[in-house]
Amino acid sequence: MSSKIRRCAPATLSLFSNTSARTPRACIVSQWLRSRGLTTVDSTPSQSVPLRKHLKDEAKRKKAEAKGSHNDIKAKTNPHSDEWKLTVGVEIHTELNTACKLFSTAPATAADSNGLPNTRVALFDAALPGTQPQFQRATLLPALRAAIALGCDVQRKSGWDRKHYFHWDQPNGYQITQYYEPFAKNGSIVLSAEDGVSKTDLSGTQSISIGIKQIQMEQDTAKTTHYAPSSYHVDLNRAGHPLIEIITLPQIHSPQTAAAVVRKIQAQLKSVDACVTGMELGGLRADVNVSVRPRGSSGNYSYGGVSGLGQRTEIKNLSSFAAIENAIMAERDRQIDVLEAGGVIEGETRGWTLGATETTRLRGKEGEVDYRYMPDADLPPLIIGSDLVDHLRSTLPELPDATVLRAQQDYGLSAKDAKTIATLDDGERLDFMEETVELVLDNLGDDQADKTKIGKLVGNWVLHELGGLLATSNIAWADVTVSETELADIITNVQLKRITSRTAKQLLATLHELPPDESRPSVEQLIDDGSLRLRPLSGEGYTALAEDIIAENPEMAKAVKDKGQKGKVMWFVGQMVRKGHEGTVEPEKAREVVERLLGS
Amino acid sequence: MDNIVTSSLPTTAASRNLSNHISPFEATVVKLLKQHGATVSSKTNMDEFGMGSHSQNSFNGPVLSLFKKIGVPLSPGGSSGGSAVAVASGDWWAALGTDTGGSVRLPAAYTGTVGFKPSYGLLSRWGVIQYANSLDTVGILAASVEDAGAVFDILNQYDPQDPTSLQPSVRRRIAANRRTPPKTLRIGVPTEYNIHELSSAVRAAYISTLQQLQNLGHTLHAISLPTTKQALSAYYVLAPAEASSNLAKYDGIRYGFRSEGPDALPRENLPLYAKTRGEGFGEEVKRRILLGAYTLSSEAIDNYFIQAQKVRRLVQRDFDRVFATQNPLLDSKPGGGGDEVDIIITPSAPTLPPTVDEVKKQSPVEIYMNDVFTVPASLVGLPAVSVPMPLSDDTVEMEVEGGDVKTTGIQVIGQFGDDELVLRAAEIVQNL
Repeated sequence: MSSKIRRCAPATLSLFSNTSARTPRACIVSQWLRSRGLTTVDSTPSQSVPLRKHLKDEAKRKKAEAKGSHNDIKAKTNPHSDEWKLTVGVEIHTELNTACKLFSTAPATAADSNGLPNTRVALFDAALPGTQPQFQRATLLPALRAAIALGCDVQRKSGWDRKHYFHWDQPNGYQITQYYEPFAKNGSIVLSAEDGVSKTDLSGTQSISIGIKQIQMEQDTAKTTHYAPSSYHVDLNRAGHPLIEIITLPQIHSPQTAAAVVRKIQAQLKSVDACVTGMELGGLRADVNVSVRPRGSSGNYSYGGVSGLGQRTEIKNLSSFAAIENAIMAERDRQIDVLEAGGVIEGETRGWTLGATETTRLRGKEGEVDYRYMPDADLPPLIIGSDLVDHLRSTLPELPDATVLRAQQDYGLSAKDAKTIATLDDGERLDFMEETVELVLDNLGDDQADKTKIGKLVGNWVLHELGGLLATSNIAWADVTVSETELADIITNVQLKRITSRTAKQLLATLHELPPDESRPSVEQLIDDGSLRLRPLSGEGYTALAEDIIAENPEMAKAVKDKGQKGKVMWFVGQMVRKGHEGTVEPEKAREVVERLLGS
Repeated sequence: MDNIVTSSLPTTAASRNLSNHISPFEATVVKLLKQHGATVSSKTNMDEFGMGSHSQNSFNGPVLSLFKKIGVPLSPGGSSGGSAVAVASGDWWAALGTDTGGSVRLPAAYTGTVGFKPSYGLLSRWGVIQYANSLDTVGILAASVEDAGAVFDILNQYDPQDPTSLQPSVRRRIAANRRTPPKTLRIGVPTEYNIHELSSAVRAAYISTLQQLQNLGHTLHAISLPTTKQALSAYYVLAPAEASSNLAKYDGIRYGFRSEGPDALPRENLPLYAKTRGEGFGEEVKRRILLGAYTLSSEAIDNYFIQAQKVRRLVQRDFDRVFATQNPLLDSKPGGGGDEVDIIITPSAPTLPPTVDEVKKQSPVEIYMNDVFTVPASLVGLPAVSVPMPLSDDTVEMEVEGGDVKTTGIQVIGQFGDDELVLRAAEIVQNL
């Protein structure tokens, strides 16, 4: 991982000049704000899902996904949906990983932080009369990393515009964004089946490319908490936090692929340390625009330079991958139903809540806000030098696709395992595996050791053995107590034939159960205490053991000897391992003996 | 003035929306004045948020000039009318105002004081309540050009808190371009300023000024500023557009006035804050917000806002073409033939000040006409100063009675960054 950018331009605003991002002093502005409550008549029911319910639903969804029943949670599907071509474009908003706000030196607040409300607010963030924005250059760095990771052309000159609408989460009455001249354009993102693209979208090819129309920087809004029936508390800590909005071209043709695109973009952003948190934590929100048209025909509409599309609708504020996928499915089916009944699709904004089967109309064209975009005369144009872009490009952390490739080439993992281990737990499992491989190689002290062979072995242990224990014990990766050193010691012992792999698995299971404190025994200790060290049987020992078992199972022996059922050899090997004293029988040797005795 | 924030006194911008608002911070210009030993004693009344030409649109009541005609007070000019009256009365040595389209120069012309609007970006706007931020300039009102210049020297500093404050590099470039003022000035006289609305009293004072300057050895040159007519229209598109944006923050939530009771009544078809904003703003402010909201709307922006921005560029080219000095913000100087001049001299206002009763009978558009001579310099950010000039004896004899004003304003305009030359020329005019 790259080092996180945590520096800000020298503070010129006295309010925050002496405070660090971690310990903000309550400021004059916050005292002020607390003196003023806001009461309004509750006009529209809240569209947001309570956080607890949302987290619960997400947990359910994850479980369902883990069980491979991902496709079962589809909304009802129109029987004729195959006759219609779906087209989707996505807009993703994500919070940049920066130390301060976009236009003030107030510390930026992560979505999950629990700072006191209205304590991270500079004069400008509260839109006090006579204040002006001061662009914080450091916020540009994560935005540029994002643009580079998504293959965009960074524009030498871009500008700041005001987007006007009244809402209490928007102190100035406008949001500063980049409407006329965004800082990054014309990117793309490549997805393969491993990324979750549907087979029909791939239509036989290895991968598809989805165009990124543009990326713009903009301000986040304040946070509103609704207290029923009619109170809203406004927290300006988030107001002015830097966001980027990523707009894809309408080149997506299935709900599954749309979710995959967002997931992949998120992974890219994360890998280059551009954004704060993942989608499930509220650091990322998406709007989707959806249109359908009969297959093989051409519509009359054109969006982002892509023409021949049907009338689209926009679904706002989706905050999970499941929400994206299900909302698109529901909206596709609704549009098909309307069109098949002879109706017309209205260009409107719609909402979707988790668990719903249909999208709901929020406002039509006539109710649309005219944002009156206007260049912000206080802010000079943003000029980005190519030297800065080049520097960031050359120091960019590894992108997910490169990581997967490395896991395959350097560690001998299969494509599927490589993809899995690279994406699981934010890449922490891959780190764990790499560290373990290094330790095993050190332990073996053998320069000749094949890294890909050890890599594949360790990969197996991390993904399947340790992964299996996680699944059965229902423990998250973050709570795993087994260390890289312990796993490396176990694997080394197997490699040196000091313990059997059966013993090794038991050791892993034992350590997995133990708390990570001082009483924790070392692997060697456990082996010694349990007398688990492999005490190799003599050749005679093997023969005697095998003969005993053959004598007890004449039918099985016959099957191998006379009928040539060679598969049964392994049954005998299994019996030998089980009957022999713990950790004494090596399967390969046992097999040799059985094969010799049964003459196969 | 009451739209420059101070932490000791309320800053209301003469609006109900900010009634009793005490700012938690102080404007840079106020800080600088205090650092140099000035006492900032009180705030002066003005047109609400600087919108007006007569200082009659104030929640605190209208500002009256010291001068009267047949017993009726005259307009002090606007929007910084209170500052002008304070200086004219002799109570204060100098006062700050803001000049967006002439709001310092017009009151100076109406009250017999000096009003200086420096180049845009020289004086910090941090703490100056915005009206139209691409035009807003802190200006200085004083009894003499020298006094205005002394205040200017104190305030003329880069301020990192104002993103439109001219960077030190630009200031160095301006300083490097500076020439020693020529002994004989080449003075531009724009033919387009000879409008039929120009009153005979002002015309006589203007012509007399030009003649006296010529007698001193300065040369007069007829110049053409062809976009002058469109400049006023462009100004009244751009300024309201920016105002509609800048004033969106007055929602009554974080500070200022808030209406009683709930402020979002969608069932009555009232959008959010309609009540607070409806009750908090005065008529002229509401008019300009509506104008601005319209000219920025998706159906009108191309025909109004974008067109006006293009006109603004043309106005700039007009000036760049006639000034001998190159605009330090541009890489090259447009050619265009004709004489090149050091400064331009025009009247500050087309007429003598009307009485406050006459103002009441004027339509908004008639009032906007008052800004026709001051707006072009605002659109281009040029330094301009209004200097009082005695009316001719004939005028005084025929038109003016005892308590009436006996001066009008003569405006000196210079190239961007040529503030010192403008002040030097203004001294010459002042000493005629």
